[in-house]
Amino acid sequence: MNKARRDPNSFPQKDFDLIKEGTISLVIVVILVVIVSLIWKAPYSPAITNQQIANSNPILFEQTALNDLDGQSAMATYGPPYNNGWKGNITAAQSIGPLNPEAWWGTPYQVIPYSADVMTPLQMLATASSNSQLKQALATYTSASPAQQQTWDQNYNNALAKAKVVNGKMVVPFGSYGPVALMMKDEWSMGKSGLLSGALNRETNQGVYRWNVQNDLLFLQGAPLEQIAKSRDILGGQWGINHDEVADPGPWWLTPYTFLYQIPPYNTSSSGDEMAAYSVGILFLLLLLLPFIPGLNKLPKVLPLYKVIWRDWYKRNV
Amino acid sequence: MNWTAAIRKKLSEQLTWENLLPSEQPVYVSSLVYSFGVFTLSALFVVIVSGIIMASKGTLWYQTSHLGYFFRNIHFWSVQAFFFFMTMHLVGQFFMGAWREGRAFTWVLGALSFGIAVVTAFTGYLSRGDFFAQWNQVQAKDAFNGSGLDGYINVLNNGQVYGLHIAVLPIVLIILVGWHLLQVRRLGVVPPYPEKGNQEGDAQ
Repeated sequence: MNKARRDPNSFPQKDFDLIKEGTISLVIVVILVVIVSLIWKAPYSPAITNQQIANSNPILFEQTALNDLDGQSAMATYGPPYNNGWKGNITAAQSIGPLNPEAWWGTPYQVIPYSADVMTPLQMLATASSNSQLKQALATYTSASPAQQQTWDQNYNNALAKAKVVNGKMVVPFGSYGPVALMMKDEWSMGKSGLLSGALNRETNQGVYRWNVQNDLLFLQGAPLEQIAKSRDILGGQWGINHDEVADPGPWWLTPYTFLYQIPPYNTSSSGDEMAAYSVGILFLLLLLLPFIPGLNKLPKVLPLYKVIWRDWYKRNV
Repeated sequence: MNWTAAIRKKLSEQLTWENLLPSEQPVYVSSLVYSFGVFTLSALFVVIVSGIIMASKGTLWYQTSHLGYFFRNIHFWSVQAFFFFMTMHLVGQFFMGAWREGRAFTWVLGALSFGIAVVTAFTGYLSRGDFFAQWNQVQAKDAFNGSGLDGYINVLNNGQVYGLHIAVLPIVLIILVGWHLLQVRRLGVVPPYPEKGNQEGDAQ
């Protein structure tokens, strides 16, 4: 290192005005940014609420709530940091060999979709509306055996596959659903009214201030948001975060990261996210430590581009 | 030892006014590539000013009012400009082997600034309050959880994400960029690779 440090001041000098150059550059950038901002604006399309999904796709809404109730949703079986899965079944655990840092911290952001997305909001609704039928349905469901609950859930799940929406009302084939049909109908009503968001947000915040939107976001995180994201071409496998919903440029600087999601094993492994995160971490370390990596730190010398950049200097010294 | 005297001595030796505010520079500083650094700083300045205005009015303002829209546009496009110029600056400095002759730490500070800028921009994307933010928030949770960062951050907690975006990360970024600049001014602009037959100065 530094075996021959040449002093830039020992080279021939020319006039330079740092302040003037900085000011001119700032003026150019301000003008450029203001013009572009006025012409193209910035992308924005409103967030999707569970009220919108309840109104536009009632069957999907009820399926989402039912999956949370019977432990079939992705969040119910997610595992740390949200929960310990559903009856011991964890589907979203990521590990590279024995390395599973996701689980190191336990479950600091606890969400049990059975209670968070269905039972607690419905209990609030029953209390708020003095709805004794709903209260009774919740009590019946809670006191039923797990096998009985599963039978009702399964029957209603099968029925939803054949359900239709006629004139804004859901028509579900006749069957043995116990209290589940009423529970789902009321959950849907709550969703349509917009109150479900309030109930979910209340769960992840202590009291009045609503800064943590975790449960509200997670209610829709599966099929409802995925269907919309797919239609807007922003799924992970569609280069997701790399581009915005519209033609405006997105965060293109994430291209190396997004690229990983297009190739195996990242897009095939269940631990793809963990692998992508660490791969990018290693790439960043290479960039960071480039001056110290033998071979790589001599690369610019081998490539001829520096001759173009300093062509005036080399011409001068011929 | 007198700490104050020692620091004053070190600073006055290394950070002279001639270095900090030069009115001359070596003749080899003659290429468009050299302008990317100052353009990056200019764009960062616009990002910070528009960001401060947006933060002072609150998160709904830039989603609901015309003036708020305007500043959101400015913030968005100045970030695009910032990353464009910063990437060009990085690529240019790579091809110039700018870490040579005692400038490795300057490169490290620059690369760290790039990394922190990427994370800062990401928390900004999550603070837009629109569908793109919503979708990326639920998507990103798996990457943050999988990598073990869930021990520090819950990306679904807007209070934390927004706080990181408007205070914690910008402060770290400004310190890194400032330090990077001081290093550049202290050591001067890296001289060209020596011509053939003259290997002097080819040190890493």
